[in-house]
Amino acid sequence: MDTLSRRHFLQLTGAAAIAAATPMLTIEQIAQAAQMRPLPLGTPILVVITLYGGNDGLNTVIPYKDPAYFTARPDISYAPSDLLTLDAELALNGSMTGIKTLWDQNKVAIVRGVGYPDPDLSHFTSMAIWQSASPVHHVSSGWLGRWLDMQQRDPMLAISLGSVLPPLLAGNSVAGSALPLGGIVVPTGSLALDCQKISAVSRTDSKLMATAATSMRNLFDLSSTITPILKEPAPQPLDLPTANGGSAGGNSDLQQQLDVVAKLIAAGSPTKVWSVSLGGFDTHANEKGTQSVLLGNVSSSIARFMSQMRATNREKDVVILAYSEFGRRVKANASEGTDHGTSGPVFVIGDRVKGGFYGDQPSLTKLIAGDLAVTTDFRDIYASLIEGVLKSPADTVLGNWKGRTNFLAKV
Amino acid sequence: MNIERLEISRLSHRFGFGPKPGEFAQAIKQGVGATQDLLLHPPAIDQGASSVADPVLTDLGDFPPTGSIVRADFDAQMKAQRRALTLWWLDRMALADHGLTERMTWFWHGHWATSIGKVEYSLPMYLQNQTLRTNSLGGFGVHARTMITDGALQYWLDGGANTVAAPNENLAREFMELFTLGVDHYLEIDVQAVARALTGYRVNRSNGIVTFIPKNHDSSTLNILGSSGTFDAPQISDLVVARDDCTQFIAERIWYRFISSSVPLPNGNPIKNAFVGRDISAAIVSAATSNAMSDPQYSLVKSPVEWFIGICRALRITPSKVSKPDQVISYLDKLGQVPFVPPNVGGWPAGEAWLTAASFQYRLQLAQYLLTQGDLSPIKNVDPSLRFTGLSDLLGIANWSLRTERALRNVVNDPTRMLLLAISSPEYIVSA
Repeated sequence: MDTLSRRHFLQLTGAAAIAAATPMLTIEQIAQAAQMRPLPLGTPILVVITLYGGNDGLNTVIPYKDPAYFTARPDISYAPSDLLTLDAELALNGSMTGIKTLWDQNKVAIVRGVGYPDPDLSHFTSMAIWQSASPVHHVSSGWLGRWLDMQQRDPMLAISLGSVLPPLLAGNSVAGSALPLGGIVVPTGSLALDCQKISAVSRTDSKLMATAATSMRNLFDLSSTITPILKEPAPQPLDLPTANGGSAGGNSDLQQQLDVVAKLIAAGSPTKVWSVSLGGFDTHANEKGTQSVLLGNVSSSIARFMSQMRATNREKDVVILAYSEFGRRVKANASEGTDHGTSGPVFVIGDRVKGGFYGDQPSLTKLIAGDLAVTTDFRDIYASLIEGVLKSPADTVLGNWKGRTNFLAKV
Repeated sequence: MNIERLEISRLSHRFGFGPKPGEFAQAIKQGVGATQDLLLHPPAIDQGASSVADPVLTDLGDFPPTGSIVRADFDAQMKAQRRALTLWWLDRMALADHGLTERMTWFWHGHWATSIGKVEYSLPMYLQNQTLRTNSLGGFGVHARTMITDGALQYWLDGGANTVAAPNENLAREFMELFTLGVDHYLEIDVQAVARALTGYRVNRSNGIVTFIPKNHDSSTLNILGSSGTFDAPQISDLVVARDDCTQFIAERIWYRFISSSVPLPNGNPIKNAFVGRDISAAIVSAATSNAMSDPQYSLVKSPVEWFIGICRALRITPSKVSKPDQVISYLDKLGQVPFVPPNVGGWPAGEAWLTAASFQYRLQLAQYLLTQGDLSPIKNVDPSLRFTGLSDLLGIANWSLRTERALRNVVNDPTRMLLLAISSPEYIVSA
C-alpha cells in the first residue's frame, strides 16, 4: 500500500463502514442553521485533522541532539541548523514555521510517543483503531460517532469535509454529516425536471423508498441558490506572516478544506466537531522532500486557520487535533524513506491549550523490534478532548478509560 | 398492491440479481410457486455463468523491494490481476442464467468479508471466492470448516501471525463474533483458547496456500465453550458451529440480507428451525418461501452492486465488455461497494446507508453511461403505448407509484430517458 491516501482508506473502511445513515448536507442547510441557531460564542469547537499514510514523527519533532537519530538515518536526517528549535532536545521540521509561531505563543501541545497497545503496522488496521478508538475489539462506530450518539440529534453537530464520511464520525444510531467540496454535480435542464418528478413525495412509498426520494431531492436543494456563504471570501487572516517557509505554495487541499470550515464557523454554524484530512504521508521512498512539503502544508494551513479564527472572535473556542495512524520505522530503508512504524507525536493546538510537551519521548536506543515504544495511549488524548472540549463524559465513548493528558487550560 | 407481483419481484431481485429480458413476464405467468421452485433449484452447470472465462491469475510471489527495477512491473501485474478478478465476478453475476448461486456467493462474501485491500494478491481472493461458491448452499459445517483455513481469510485476520509465543486473537474472535455465534455468545477465555487452537497454520499470502505445521501448533489441552480437549482448526469450527447460538446467528444474517435490514428476525420465524440441521439450502428455501416475502413492510435497499448488476441483466450488458470497464469500477467505488473490497471484517452496511444525495448523483451518472452500452431494444422496438408495461416487466418492478408512473408515461417517446428515470427511481433502487 505505497500510495495510501485518504480516498483509499475511505474506500476500505469509510462510506460503507457506516451503520447509521449519513446525512449529506448542503451549504444552504448549514447557512440556514447558522442564521437560525448560531453556535453561541464561547462554545468550544473541535477540529480534527487526520494525516493519512503514517506521518514520520521522528522527522516532524526531531531529536536533533541524539546521535542515534543520525546513525539510524544517515541520508534522511536533518542538520540542526535546518530546524526550528523547541527545546534543548527537540526541534520542529524546518517547514513548520506556522506551528512554531503558535508554539512560541504557548498554543501548541505536542504529545510524544502516542500510539495504542500491540501496534499493528497495517494502515488499514491502524487507522481503523485510531478512528474507532477500539484497539482490541472490532467496532464499526467511530469515537466521535459514539459521542454523537449521546447528543441531541442534529445533523449540523459534526461535519466532515468531503463526500465520504470517515468512520470516526459514524455512530451506532446517528452519524456525522458529509459536506462535499464542490464534488456535487447537479443535473440540469429537462433531466433535472424529470429527476424532480420521480423524487417527489409519494404517499405509497415504503419508508426506504421515501428515504431514496428524499436523498434525490436533497441533491437538488444545492442547485437552486448557492448561498452567500460560499460566495464570500474566507475570513481574512489577521496577522499571518507573509513568508511561510517550506509551504508548498498555492492552495493545498487541506487549506481549501479549512477555508470552508473557517467560513462556516464565522457564519455561526452550530457545529462542534469538524473533520478534515490530508493524505500522502506514506513516505517509503525519498521522504525528505515529500514530507517537508506536506508538513509545511499542514503548518501553514493551521496557522492561517487560527488567524482566521482570531478575525471572527472564535480563536478562544477552537481546539485542533492533528494525528496520523502511526509513526515510521526508526531506521531508514534503502530508498531514502521509512517503513511503517509505531508511535508518533500528536499535535493539539488552540488558545485553550497549555503549550509544551506531554508524554515521554520514546528512546531511540531501547527499541521494540526496531520500533519506538508507545509512551502515551491515544485514548488519553481523546478522553481529555471529550471532557475538556466537548464537555461530555468520556465513559460512554471510551468505556472505562482512565488515562488523561492535561493539555487543556481551565477556562 | 399486487401481492403476487411483489413476491415474484422480491424472489428475482433478492435471491438473484434481477430478471433478464423476458424472465419476469414468464414468471408472472407461471405464478409464485413455480417461480420459487425454479429459483431454488440451480442447475448443475449454469451456461451463462460458465460462459465467462476464468481470470488468468498467477502466483506473483513476494513483493520486490520498493524502488527496485522489477517493482513497477510487479505493481502493474498486481493491478491487472485485481482488475481481471473484479470484472470476472461482475460478469458472472450479470450473465448467470440462474441467479441463486452467484447471489449466495455474494451473500457469503459479505459474511466472511475479506478485503483485497489487505490481502493485496488476487489469487487467494479468487480461490476463496470459488470456495464460497462451491459451498454456497450445502452444509454450513463443511462451509465453515473450509473457511477457517482459507488462505485469504487467514491472512486477512492475521492467522500467520498467531503463534504459541505471541497469540493473535483476531481470527479466533471474529470467527465466533462475526461468522458463527454473534457477539456475547462466548467468553474472553474462549477467544484466548481458540486462538491457541488456531496456531500452527502458515499462510503463503501470494497463493493462499495454508500449511499446517504440527510442531508450531499448541496441542495442549484446552477448555473451549465448555468442552475440554485438544483441537485443531477444523475441530474448532465443528465445535463452534454445533452450538445452538449458531442457529440463531446465521438465521439472523439471512433474514438481514434477504428479508429486512431494519426489522429484526421475529421470534419463531421458520428460517431458524430450517437451519437446525446446518443445511444452508433449507434455510434459504425457508426464507424465500416464508410469509414475510409477501409482507409489504419488509422492503430492502439494493446495494450498489445489486443495483448495477440488475441493470446489466435487464440491458444485456457484460461488465467487462463495456467501453470503459474501469470507469464502471470507479463508479462502484464512489458508490461505496466494489466486490472483494468490503469496508471491514463486518461486511457492507445495509439499508439507508446507501441512500445519500451524493450516491444518487453517482447512480444517475452511472445509469446514463450504462444506457449508452446496453441493449434497449425490448423497449425501443415496441409501440410507445406498450412501453410502460414492458418496462415494468423488463426491470421486474412490483408496483410503480403514481408519481413515477406519470413521469415515465410522460417520456414514452424517448426510450432512453424512460429507462434512465426508471432505473434511477425509488422503486428500482429499493426492492419493494
